[in-house]
Amino acid sequence: MTGLAADRRTFLKGLGLLGAATLVPGCATSTKSPGSGSAATGELSLQSNLSSEQAKAAMEKLVAAYNKTGGSQVKLNTVAAEIFRTQLPTYLTSANPPDVYTWYAGSVADSYAKKDLLLDVTSVWDSMGNYSKAMQSLSTSSAGQKIFVPTSYYWWGMFYRKSNFAKWGVTPPKTWAEFVAVCKTIQSKGIPPIGIGLGDTPWVASAWFDYLNIRINGAPFHRKLLAGEGDFTDPKVKAVFTKWREVLPYFDPKGKSFPFQEATSALLAGKTGMFLIGTFFADSAPKDALDDIDFFQFPIIDPAVPVAEEAPTDGYFASKKVKDPEGTKKFLTWLATPEAQNIYVQSSSGTAIPANPDGKSADTALVKKGKAMIEGAAEITQFFNRDSSDALQPTADAALTKFLDKPDQIDKILADWQAAAQKVFKAGA
Amino acid sequence: MIRRTGYHVAMSIVSFLWVAPILWVVVISFRSFDDVAANGLGSLPHSFTFSTYKSAWEDADEFRALINSLLVTIPAVLLSLGLASIAAYGLARYSIPFRRTILLLMLMGNLLPPQILLIPISRFVELIGYYDTLIALIAVHVGFGLGFYTFVLHGFMRDLPREIQEAATIDGAGPGRIYSSVILPLTRPALAALGALSFTWIFNDLLWSITVIRSGEKMPVTPALLGLQGLFVSSWNVIAAGTVIAAVPTVAVFLRFQKHFVGGLAIGAVK
Repeated sequence: MTGLAADRRTFLKGLGLLGAATLVPGCATSTKSPGSGSAATGELSLQSNLSSEQAKAAMEKLVAAYNKTGGSQVKLNTVAAEIFRTQLPTYLTSANPPDVYTWYAGSVADSYAKKDLLLDVTSVWDSMGNYSKAMQSLSTSSAGQKIFVPTSYYWWGMFYRKSNFAKWGVTPPKTWAEFVAVCKTIQSKGIPPIGIGLGDTPWVASAWFDYLNIRINGAPFHRKLLAGEGDFTDPKVKAVFTKWREVLPYFDPKGKSFPFQEATSALLAGKTGMFLIGTFFADSAPKDALDDIDFFQFPIIDPAVPVAEEAPTDGYFASKKVKDPEGTKKFLTWLATPEAQNIYVQSSSGTAIPANPDGKSADTALVKKGKAMIEGAAEITQFFNRDSSDALQPTADAALTKFLDKPDQIDKILADWQAAAQKVFKAGA
Repeated sequence: MIRRTGYHVAMSIVSFLWVAPILWVVVISFRSFDDVAANGLGSLPHSFTFSTYKSAWEDADEFRALINSLLVTIPAVLLSLGLASIAAYGLARYSIPFRRTILLLMLMGNLLPPQILLIPISRFVELIGYYDTLIALIAVHVGFGLGFYTFVLHGFMRDLPREIQEAATIDGAGPGRIYSSVILPLTRPALAALGALSFTWIFNDLLWSITVIRSGEKMPVTPALLGLQGLFVSSWNVIAAGTVIAAVPTVAVFLRFQKHFVGGLAIGAVK
């Protein structure tokens, strides 16, 4: 009998422990409603991957400005970029998903539209007539619906330090032959001419593949190849690597071991000559070095091929399951206005260009030059992963890293790449 | 004598290698961003600043993240050790039918790689309406820890002398009383060791927190540190400072339970 009583006491003690445990976090969480839900109060949740200090502050400013305009209140929820990337499919497929998301235009957004996860925002585009054709097609799903609202873009280029180029006596090249000559000159000064950073950031090599492919074979071929309608064993693809081999000896041999951020430091310190990278690298440059930075367009290889440039476009899409479609569309319409984009561009790092042609980009020579280059391009591509899918990117990383190590095994590497890509395309279909 | 010196020299080198990465992180945490950007992470420091700690504390909201971490870790440790000790007590001291099978079954759960359970757990937590709450995170940690803790405590309790329990029974104590007044106090070294261990595991967990939590303000400290990494560019000096701050609670727990920890490990290992 006593045993039974004691048993019950232990049990109660256990229960008490359980109760106490659930109560503690209960206090902490009950003060704030969960990040999503609560459609009745007209609250929208915005899931953002812009977690770096400056970008996060810019987003907070943007949301605060919208909340002042009345209408639905937007609640910003910033998640680490790396977590966001891996969890985005989970967010979108959950029963109670966040409403609006920061993400990329192009195939990568379309891959979610194909799974019927995105809100049709065609009506938002009624107010966006002034956007360029390229932006429109980037925001249209393969089913013909508008699913994306672009808000800013940036560009890729061959960046260098003006003072170093002056010191070495070289001028920015325009053609491939001039480029190779510049590489030779810089190497003769004992400096590795082409910087790269592949440790932890192997995707940086894809920029070389993208650019060589769009310069040699043109943007339409490039897009088809990335969409699974081509073949990586195609002789035209091999031609890309043959061209690449011509400049391979000029790559910084240390570039394989450190990430692109360290490669940026190497460029700024004059340990490498030039660096093919997106403008986001400027965030990792000391402010006093920025004035000395310039870029040139990736050299022209075949003048007969219409010039294409890489200009990755960022923006927003919304979940199909939003609780308040009208409120969501109103918010997206506001995000597409030049006012909203100016707020973001001014408070963020300053190299992003507003997607709205009426928006104001930063008034620096560098940004003006970049904007002019993109506007003058006949075709725009995004970037390897954005023109294909996040699933195809690792196959490119594996193939390109191997190529940089063992360029003479190119036939086998391309065959392996094709096999790996085939698997990705089959899984997606 | 030469052998002794050789031993000390060799061990000093090994300990230095062991401590070097931590020292490196501490050094980076005191460097300014421009210094890191201009000279690279590997170079010797050219600057000294405390501002990294300030920005880690404020921008990453590390205070709130630490509170979240403790709100998860403390209940999870208490609950899992409490439940595990009760289970181990029952399984070790009473002839419950199939007790070996039960124990092995519990341990088997721990042999599964957690990655394959990510999606089922995230879906299940959502189904019962606890997605994006700290309670869900506590429940997951308790569930995952239970098997291993029970196994360790079972091994420990089984070796306690039978006579103590018999004496307590003669004195009129029931199973509950024996558990709380006799067995539990004797298990303290093992509990302390497991407590320190599970505190570190749960506190340092990243995988489960990002699986069941979506809101930035509910994230524990590990995902908050990840949040200091930008999409492309990361301020490594601030991340280093944040890491140093985040390491304080675990180090404190370890220092506090150090004696038990080493003792507890040995007890569990040599039967």
